[in-house]
Amino acid sequence: MTAHAVATRGLTKRYGRDTALDRVDLQVPDGAVFVLIGANGAGKSTTFRLLMNLERPDEGAAEILGLDTASRGPEARAQVGYVPERLDHSYGWMTCARLLQHVSTYYAAWDFGYADHLSKTFALRLDRRVGTLSKGESRRLQLVLALAHRPPVLLLDEPTDGLDLAMRTRALSLLAEHLADTPATVLMSTHQIHEVDGLADHMGVLRDGRLVAQMSRDEIQRTVRRYRAEVPELWQAPPDLQAGGVRSSTRREMQWTLIGDERAVVERLTQAGALVREVSAMTLEAAALALLTQDVTR
Amino acid sequence: MLVSLDPTDARPLYLQIMDEVRRALVVGTLRPEDPVPSVRDLASQLVVNPRTVSQAYHELEREGVLYVRRGQGTFVAAAARSDRRTLGRKVAKRAVLDARRNGLGVEELIATIREIAAKEDRRPAVPASTTTRGDNR
Repeated sequence: MTAHAVATRGLTKRYGRDTALDRVDLQVPDGAVFVLIGANGAGKSTTFRLLMNLERPDEGAAEILGLDTASRGPEARAQVGYVPERLDHSYGWMTCARLLQHVSTYYAAWDFGYADHLSKTFALRLDRRVGTLSKGESRRLQLVLALAHRPPVLLLDEPTDGLDLAMRTRALSLLAEHLADTPATVLMSTHQIHEVDGLADHMGVLRDGRLVAQMSRDEIQRTVRRYRAEVPELWQAPPDLQAGGVRSSTRREMQWTLIGDERAVVERLTQAGALVREVSAMTLEAAALALLTQDVTR
Repeated sequence: MLVSLDPTDARPLYLQIMDEVRRALVVGTLRPEDPVPSVRDLASQLVVNPRTVSQAYHELEREGVLYVRRGQGTFVAAAARSDRRTLGRKVAKRAVLDARRNGLGVEELIATIREIAAKEDRRPAVPASTTTRGDNR
């Protein structure tokens, strides 16, 4: 139906009086690596659980590859590799090997050779019981389970959480290899934005349950920029330029991270009496910080 | 060829990868008919999206720097010249922008570069990694 592998329309979820998700229209283009960011409790994991139909939305709908996640949940889930925020311990008595074997029966496309390769790469001890695994080991097991059937959609809720530094890098390298071998659409959440700087081509920002921005990397590169300007000593920034601004100790120089069309922003600064000296693009992490704290003005 | 990316560099990654290939050609660590890493290997090594590596390789292919041998991989074109001019322009542009940011004029910058270069030339031991191969000067 659309070129969006994952899409939600007005997705809303309330827990009692708290609104966890508020009319979210998420659009993850086919083949994208879409990184979802937001503070704890902003609604990232709720989004994933609703997409997996583990919970029902109060309003709105979600689709995975055009399949409505509520009415065609099992079909939609069959297309997905999911790494949940927390490991489900209902299989705690099984060994890792047994769980892998068990899960493999659900997927026609399960690739046994690849599952072995992944287990080795992640140094999984297959004879361990699932319930006795550390947080990091659980996460590694989840990654194997999510990738081994080479699904067209990957939903990864903080996939490197709990992994040590070497293992985080290995997991992300492996994801890059995986995508080279098996094109897929990835929706992943993370707090470690610098880690996914090279992988991400889209970013969405959740704030208090609202999706306040979703942009392609090009758009971020174009519209989130750092401006440095000389200003008169007792200069007062106009109200719309007060957010995101830092004044130098000498008060003659100011720096802003501003979101918007560069030419329009420079014009606004110039008209306000600032002499723009430098405009620079930002790393994904720096841009993310701006998007997390400022409103997108166009 | 060794490709390393600067995490603080905010330019699009495919441009950074293209520059690294160009640099390897100028320095001589990459020569005509040499293979370049596969998209998969480079994506894995740099932890970048394979599409980004593909994009960089496609652009370099369009520029005649790389070519694809069906089923064998991507190679440096025989006619690929080490593009000192393009690389030089980029280095110069960075220097000019940096100078401007620091309130220096271009003439001032050039004079200072000459001064420093003269001093560096008089130094006996230049680290091997910064010397270019014999095809310069």
